[in-house]
Amino acid sequence: MISRIKRHLWPVLGEPIPIRPQVRGGPPPSTIEPETPPLELSGRDYAIFLLRLAAEIEHGLMVQYLFAAYSLGGPQVPDAQQAQVQRWQETLLGVAKEEMGHLVTVQNVLTALGGPLQFNREDYPHDNVLYESGFRLQPLTLRSLATYICAESPKNWDTPEAREIKRQAKVETGADVNRVGRLYEELITVISDPALVADSTFNAGSEVFQASWDAWGRGFRQGLPGTQSGEDRDPRDEHELVIVTVRDRASAIDALEQVGEQGEGFDSPEEDASHFERFLEIYRALAALSDDERAALVRRLAPNPTTHLDGSDVAPPGERTPTSTTAISNPQARLWAHLFNVRYRKLLVSLSHTFELAAERAAAGTGGPRGALINRAFAEMYNMRSIAGVLAGLPIDDAAPGGERAGPPFQMPYTLMLPHDEPDRWRLHRDMLDASAVLIERIAATGGAPRAYLAALAQADEIERGQLDVLNAATTPPPEPPPP
Amino acid sequence: MIHELRILPPLAIARFGSAATPMDNYDVVVDPDEPLGYRRLVPADTFELDVDSGEITRVFKPDAVTFVDEGDRVRPVAPFLELWALTGDEQLTGGGVLEPLTIALLQEEGAVVADLRWHVQVSNLKVVRRTNDRDDRVIADTDEFSGHDRRPLVGRCENFVAGKTIGFGHVQAVRPTAAHPEVRLRFTPAAGLVYGSNRAAAPDAPFPDPNVADAVYDAGRGGWLGYRDFLPSGAASSPNPTAPGEIYAGRRVRDPDGRRRQVSFGYLDDGCDGLVRVTLATSDGRTLRTFGRVGSGPPTYAPDAGPIRSVADELEQALLGPAVEPAEATFERVEEIVRRGLESVRLMNTAGWNVNPNLTGSDIEIMDPSLVDVVALTNLHQSLLVALRSGAAPWFADVLREPEEAGDMRPPARRKMPALMRGADGELLALTRRQIDLVRTLARAGLFTDPEPQP
Repeated sequence: MISRIKRHLWPVLGEPIPIRPQVRGGPPPSTIEPETPPLELSGRDYAIFLLRLAAEIEHGLMVQYLFAAYSLGGPQVPDAQQAQVQRWQETLLGVAKEEMGHLVTVQNVLTALGGPLQFNREDYPHDNVLYESGFRLQPLTLRSLATYICAESPKNWDTPEAREIKRQAKVETGADVNRVGRLYEELITVISDPALVADSTFNAGSEVFQASWDAWGRGFRQGLPGTQSGEDRDPRDEHELVIVTVRDRASAIDALEQVGEQGEGFDSPEEDASHFERFLEIYRALAALSDDERAALVRRLAPNPTTHLDGSDVAPPGERTPTSTTAISNPQARLWAHLFNVRYRKLLVSLSHTFELAAERAAAGTGGPRGALINRAFAEMYNMRSIAGVLAGLPIDDAAPGGERAGPPFQMPYTLMLPHDEPDRWRLHRDMLDASAVLIERIAATGGAPRAYLAALAQADEIERGQLDVLNAATTPPPEPPPP
Repeated sequence: MIHELRILPPLAIARFGSAATPMDNYDVVVDPDEPLGYRRLVPADTFELDVDSGEITRVFKPDAVTFVDEGDRVRPVAPFLELWALTGDEQLTGGGVLEPLTIALLQEEGAVVADLRWHVQVSNLKVVRRTNDRDDRVIADTDEFSGHDRRPLVGRCENFVAGKTIGFGHVQAVRPTAAHPEVRLRFTPAAGLVYGSNRAAAPDAPFPDPNVADAVYDAGRGGWLGYRDFLPSGAASSPNPTAPGEIYAGRRVRDPDGRRRQVSFGYLDDGCDGLVRVTLATSDGRTLRTFGRVGSGPPTYAPDAGPIRSVADELEQALLGPAVEPAEATFERVEEIVRRGLESVRLMNTAGWNVNPNLTGSDIEIMDPSLVDVVALTNLHQSLLVALRSGAAPWFADVLREPEEAGDMRPPARRKMPALMRGADGELLALTRRQIDLVRTLARAGLFTDPEPQP
């Protein structure tokens, strides 16, 4: 466990801190009560610590839900199940989008408190002390769904069904799955307390740097997001995307309450069903099927796919543990996986960069930098979806063409810290385009399909490259004239 | 045996131009090297029609696509209507064959080209649609003819000054030859001129107005000069509303009731639409008939851009219904819709429309202002095109405006796609149901197929 996190986390876990005997025959094991804020941290600092942890968890959940959503479908799905499978995929994608909303809302609170943003998250092998079930990319199964339900579950959820689902989750992960709601409860407690977080801490002026619903909420009608399925439209699929900007204590608490409620709400009206309730509904339907019937609803994606070929956690199918990864050994698929990682990084860098730029009003034809970055972020989401689709069609091991397929690896970049100066930030965007260009060329050279996609992506990147100088000029103040 | 005749295309739209040489043919194609760029105009095979003989003298492909002649006059788009025949013994069981009507096919019927009787009637009813006065109809009628000389389309009107007419262009039945034995008729539209009345358009207006080609309308007979929409209550005629209203040249006046009204200058134009009929008396005593439709309108000034919802989309929906067959839902067709969106963005002041109260009935911005810059929106549409080429199922059906939402002016509904545009009803533009179903059907189909990358 990472002591730099866990040593501050005891108040959230709500457990006494155990003191292990240091010498044989010494005093018996004892405990001390955790304090809020933990020693070493001020109240504000503790709030920032918790928010950064929340951001990591929201990010991790979002990625896992996306992977699970991508796994649904395939030609083997029986006709009679197709409508249901499509609805489930929409549910999972919808929840993933809402996790994205939670992620940026947490960044908004961080921005208002003047804390460093957190777009990082754990990577496999997993290591999160709070969400100990770990970060695991895998096709949707009854047990993987059980872990998501437990993570999103409300306080005091203890029915026979709850016990069964918790048991399934524990079988899956080897540990109890903590509820994320705990973290938000602690956050709300801390931020509500003026003795811990003073009024003067909240910077109303930071709002122009925050993510707003207007800028990020496309496709989701506030309160009435649509669905893909048209006549199969189910009111339960229509949910609100929570993106709240924060200017003071009240709006910070409101933001965190909305995020918490959307995750774990219980007995909500149908149109506001929480993630917990939506997952539970899928779980019940899945539980009514046989193992074979369930297996027929998903594509055979290998769990935890990675471009890392010689990691100690890489394991072949027969020897897997919950934490094993699957090396993408098929060279063609691995190139696509690298490309996926570059585009994922591009998304995260674009997202993070928008928080450095104030909201702007577009003047015709100028291509405002913040709007450009937001649109880029959406473009990268489309690219990730596209590349994930290509990967799902490629065997993960070219020696076993009929075996498991590759899936999107979602590997984290080495850093998400932005350079200090604006020109260097735009240079980072260019670096990622360069890396992408090499990969596109390599994939094309090895006969990778779809060629039409590669050609279009290459052109889109060239267009973006041409715009970077303009964007840089728009955000960089002109140099001081030399002294006379 | 010929069972029936058809004119193809059944609807042809000509475009005005004053140049003597009609526009050459071109195709609008996606450049494979620049799939995200705007479409290219590529010269295509073009008929050269000799006006004197009425014969097609050659087929050529021009070196370049040129919309004006040496004198900078716009070249009219002058469509050919082709006569086709439904033949074959299986016709009664639905197995008929549609083939071009040729000299040889006519001979088999014991007929010759001269037995084909053409009859073209076109009109301009723009004024009568406002005034409700039947004498304001401008009609051209060729009467039946079978020769191959040019037939002018002379627009006559009861309320015109005696002897005055408006030329709607002309038609010419092409003389089939051994090299081009098919039967065709060419419709060449008018130049695109404005006509006026025989009195000044306004008390202080110059007369004759130098912008009008001829003062044809007799303001002493008809009421078009000085006409105003929204007549006082109790008026005998009620105008057919348009959206937006008062779409005729005029000046704004304030009426005694305090409302501002548009008072007509009494202008007309030389656009028209109507029917091309043809009959064939066969040797066995049957008379075969068919007809096609023609119309004329202004030149296209963005020929490499397609409107996101076109007349063709409307017709397709009317003909085939609101739902597509799964096999019809192809990536190419969805890409075409997105591409037209991209092309439309280029032509729009999106930042301006985002705050235009005429569009939304509100001065609240539709989108976040940082997102509606033309460059940003262009990039966004391009990223959709990129994604579609991966074979990824289109995921954006949920941002498409439903036809029922066209009048929903609440902020979230105003953000749906297509955004910042309105339809002919003056409400927010929606795609046709069939277009929306196309996107949805492809999304559904993609989920249950193995990812099969597009080549």
